[in-house]
Amino acid sequence: MILLQQIINGVMLGSTYALVAIGYSLIFGVLRLLHFAHGEVFMVGAFIALCSVWFLNAGPVLAVICAAIGCAALGVVIEFVAFRPVRRRSGGMLAPIVSSLGVGLLLQEVATNIFGADQTRFPPQFEATVYHFGSLFVTSTQLFILGTSFGLMLLVHLFISKTKYGLAMRAVAENVDVAGLLGINSNAVVVLTFAVASALGGVAGVLVGFAFSAISPFMGISMTIKGLVVMLIGGLGNVYGAMIGGLVLGIAEVLTVGYLASSYRDAFSFALLIVVLLVRPQGLFSGGLRAGH
Amino acid sequence: MRNVLVGVSMLAGVASQALISPALADVQIGILMPKTGFGAGFGAEEQGSIDLFMSKFADLGPAGKLKLTIYDTRGEPAQAISLTRKLIDTDNVLAILGPYFSGESEAAFPVANRAATPIVTPSSAKPGIAAANRPWAFRNASTTDKTDAALVAHWLKRQATPIRKVVIFYDGKDAVSSSDGKAVMPAVLKANGIDVVDSISFQTGDVDFSAQVTRAKALGADGIVVTALFTEAGHLTRELRRQGMQQPILAGVELSLDHKFIETAGEAAAEGVLTGADFNRDSPRPSVVAFVKEYQERVGQLPGNSSALMYDALFLMRHCIMTTGVTGSSAADKTKIRDCWANLKDVDAPIAGPSSIDANGDATHAPNFLVVKGGKFVVDR
Repeated sequence: MILLQQIINGVMLGSTYALVAIGYSLIFGVLRLLHFAHGEVFMVGAFIALCSVWFLNAGPVLAVICAAIGCAALGVVIEFVAFRPVRRRSGGMLAPIVSSLGVGLLLQEVATNIFGADQTRFPPQFEATVYHFGSLFVTSTQLFILGTSFGLMLLVHLFISKTKYGLAMRAVAENVDVAGLLGINSNAVVVLTFAVASALGGVAGVLVGFAFSAISPFMGISMTIKGLVVMLIGGLGNVYGAMIGGLVLGIAEVLTVGYLASSYRDAFSFALLIVVLLVRPQGLFSGGLRAGH
Repeated sequence: MRNVLVGVSMLAGVASQALISPALADVQIGILMPKTGFGAGFGAEEQGSIDLFMSKFADLGPAGKLKLTIYDTRGEPAQAISLTRKLIDTDNVLAILGPYFSGESEAAFPVANRAATPIVTPSSAKPGIAAANRPWAFRNASTTDKTDAALVAHWLKRQATPIRKVVIFYDGKDAVSSSDGKAVMPAVLKANGIDVVDSISFQTGDVDFSAQVTRAKALGADGIVVTALFTEAGHLTRELRRQGMQQPILAGVELSLDHKFIETAGEAAAEGVLTGADFNRDSPRPSVVAFVKEYQERVGQLPGNSSALMYDALFLMRHCIMTTGVTGSSAADKTKIRDCWANLKDVDAPIAGPSSIDANGDATHAPNFLVVKGGKFVVDR
């Protein structure tokens, strides 16, 4: 029974990791590029939702929608300001990575200046109702998180595999030049990718804010690293790998804390990563956006 | 360019100070505190007291003026070390107040001790830190080994149904919380005939406590002890109540009586949590009443535990400067300040009252017991 409850706890934590990692994977899959400010987009999502609650008196659903729209816009701005000019001038991997690190720091500083360094939280009316099933329990917030993350994962799947835009995204991921020759506007696809990925990251930020009632300018830092771990476990650039990888990491962390000690949590996560990389260097799911569709 | 300008003006400042200071003979004291980072709230409370104190007591009579050099440690031990060096070597302070946390004090005390400069933390509560750095290190806060026995005894006494089995939650990353949760509290509980069924750790900065609480649920404990800083203690308390663990909670002095504990946990979850602190804001002592009123007028907020500790520490430091004939220009000044702190006996500090320092360099005053009632800390008798 305790194990079952711990697995529920792990799935809850893991589903937010998965949402962050999906965004990461989309951008990596299309651009072959690590977006180190993605954790900060996640953080900005939480703050946008908080503002929508403060100023628009928004409920949970509207708050999530505001964060998704706001972060999609932020993602597009980041692409235009921090990635596109750098990408055009240098062909290397390093410049965009450094540029994204800079964006991350900038967003952190701006958030600290506006909202302060302390943790803030959603007002008490967002407090969850608790449902007990025997010795098991779930909260309404957790069900909302679970529903939203799995719903979004399904939407992302349908988007990539069934729509024209998803097809274009996969084509650009396969080969930018060939996609261009086939008449696909690859710049537009990149913008679309940033919008979708950032919206997902922003929603994850709101969900974490709901779940743990802790929103701070620094909440994105560990998410950036966790998202990277999840992406490596799942398979670089593979969206389905990110979904599964997120859940695996969440459950692994919770079980480590539940049965060993909290100080082993990150050690265990990274050990898991090393084992996966040794046994299956391509990650649990290989091929990224290019294969498997 | 701006950095260069700042650097040049700082150089100019240092140069002019060096030229003028022998004539003025002011007394330079350094202060280390967390102005940013996770302890920024504590630093803000301390700053309020510093502003209030300096507006009233900056004048030292024949020794000139009290001059403070304040640095931000961000709550990091590495920063505390380098800033202690800087205060001693560059700013030539006669003594240092701070740092705030036990982890920082553990790191900074040896530096000051080697440099033969008095260093007094107003707050750190992990046992043995001053004792390991004799004769120059002191603290004006009672350590957990002194407060826990009284706190636990009071907690047990107020329960309707006796507590026999306790589960301890502790922050494994915070120095004082970790030592309290792993060593000090278990010893005190055992001495009271209580069985510690499990000790469960988390890390400063954690927000998800679901795994820890689920693990504790099956243990059949009838009491919960938490040794953690206010944010983590708040999240943990919220999760405990959410998962249906309604056992009485004792929170160690690490909570530092911070109201954000109640905000983070939520009023309903925090209700009934007992904790200990050096400061009792509702004390009828006239000097405390005056302090609370003046602080509120000056800062616009109520003083917290950290405000009170800093105010008393400043008061005692000024007492040591004025009663021992420190001039600010004599080589013996540091020794005079050290000897004053080492022999402090029943000096009437404004908040804590009669204050003494024991042979380990630690303060001896007894803790107040406070319980959360209706979203506030109130004295529990």
